[in-house]
Amino acid sequence: MSPNTTSGTATNEAYARYLEALLAGDRQRCRREFEAWLAAGTDLRTLYQDFIQRSLYEVGELWERGRVSVATEHLATAITESLLSLVYPRLFNQPHVGRTAVVTCTANEYHQIGGKMVADLFELNGWRGYFLGASTPACDLLHLIEEKRPDVVALSVTVYFGMEGLLRTAAEIRSQFPTVPILVGGQAFRWGGRERAEQIGGVQYLPSLTELESWMQSHSPHAT
Amino acid sequence: MAEAALAYLWDTAPVLALRLDEQDRVIAANPHAQRVLGPAVVGRALAELAVSFTRAPGAPNDGVHWLSLNTASGLPESFQFRRFALTEGGLALGSLDFLEQERLRTEVLGLNRELSDLTRQLHLANAELRELNQLKNQFLGMAAHDLRKPVGVIMTYSEFVLDEAGPALSAEHRKFLQTCLAAAVGMKRLIDDFLDLSVIESGKLRLELTPATAADILGGATDIARLVAAKKKVTLIEAPADASRRLRVDASKLQQVVLNLVGNAVEHSQPGQRVWLSSLWDDQNLVFAVRDEGPGLTAEAQGRLFQPFASGGPRKTGGERSVGLGLLITRKIVEAHGGRIWVESIPGQGATFRFALPVQAGAR
Repeated sequence: MSPNTTSGTATNEAYARYLEALLAGDRQRCRREFEAWLAAGTDLRTLYQDFIQRSLYEVGELWERGRVSVATEHLATAITESLLSLVYPRLFNQPHVGRTAVVTCTANEYHQIGGKMVADLFELNGWRGYFLGASTPACDLLHLIEEKRPDVVALSVTVYFGMEGLLRTAAEIRSQFPTVPILVGGQAFRWGGRERAEQIGGVQYLPSLTELESWMQSHSPHAT
Repeated sequence: MAEAALAYLWDTAPVLALRLDEQDRVIAANPHAQRVLGPAVVGRALAELAVSFTRAPGAPNDGVHWLSLNTASGLPESFQFRRFALTEGGLALGSLDFLEQERLRTEVLGLNRELSDLTRQLHLANAELRELNQLKNQFLGMAAHDLRKPVGVIMTYSEFVLDEAGPALSAEHRKFLQTCLAAAVGMKRLIDDFLDLSVIESGKLRLELTPATAADILGGATDIARLVAAKKKVTLIEAPADASRRLRVDASKLQQVVLNLVGNAVEHSQPGQRVWLSSLWDDQNLVFAVRDEGPGLTAEAQGRLFQPFASGGPRKTGGERSVGLGLLITRKIVEAHGGRIWVESIPGQGATFRFALPVQAGAR
């Protein structure tokens, strides 16, 4: 996802300040920057893609290149996750289109924030987006699907060792709920897994949040 | 080689290395110890660095001990210390238990995730409840609106038949029709309450504020209040109301409040008892009061009186029916004016309902 280039230098400076605070593990400074964006009425989509996602990708890259420790990466994720709660009062006030999604990270997937952002993106598009956190047992997920009868189930996986878990979960959902569409996605698919996932019937891989949003829009009731 | 390893241990390794004299005073500290414990560590006794030093870090070579030290960040930290005897004094090496730190980190991160998930669930559940509440209000409003008309028809035709054909009917049949009419009147009141409530609950209660005196507000209500009281043979005593000071209020809504309170007072009174209606200005408020000589209310009943579907107060003396919405609507109207409503009562000694409208609401 490319950063927002239209809003110019001020935005980039604010982002740079935020990223610096995030890497320093300075929760209060991150919160101040974040609250300033919210107070300025920043569009939530911009906030999610150009600040939250961008910063997490950047931290992840620094980790992969050995520039920051895993502790820094974990702390940055934890800070980001706590900041999301500041968005919720606005997020859950969107007009509704009467569609429901259940989103989860598969068991043993400890990088759950991507999945949560997917659930939030559903809310942002007027869908009800239920999110089940990392390490939710498969039986709890199946129970929620039974209870909510969602229009789609989305499974997110960030690190590749969670892929087997995702495939198992997708197969289990398919055997118990033969018709519900299943979407899969996440950073782990950079290393493969798409073909195996799509061999399970009714499973579709979506490579980005933009494509996920297009999918939602084409499956909303007002879509033509 | 051993020298290089020792140099690594002293200069670089994440280990606290403290050279101690015979009195356990720190005579040298490696850079890591100075970063963790602060630069002022040299020259201080080991006992001074500890949080609560109940035991010395052990005699030379007698194994590993936990020692909690005050760190430069202000937080205490527990290190595993081992002491080695040197020719002069000793060397204490301290390190964190990595597995313990890892467990702590995992737990804290897990708790943060769970808290964040629960916060999200809470917001989502609130959004769902808001939606359901809105649906309920819409349903209530629609149902009440659609029921009002047929009930009006039943009332009109019952009255019509009683008027036109009453003399030709037997006393028993007239009684049947009067029961029909009374039931329809009760139902209409209920429907009106539902409609009022659905408007209030959906946040669509709009006040039409105009300047009015206490006399204006009471004037529109007392005629009906008198009729209600007379029907039950209850005496309504009205104190003269002030007609000089004005307040910006929705007089018609406040008349509804007064009528509701007087109606309740009458319904809980026995024939021959009295109900008082008065109004009074104090420094900040215009206060209305309705007092009765009915059975009064227990503290418990008073507590739930202004809640939805509050029933459980004393039975009405004439067998009048109520679903307990009247006082809720009354409260909402008063609160919409920025005012408050309350009751004072001792069981067996009647009850006084008061509502106060603040001057700041726009006195003229």
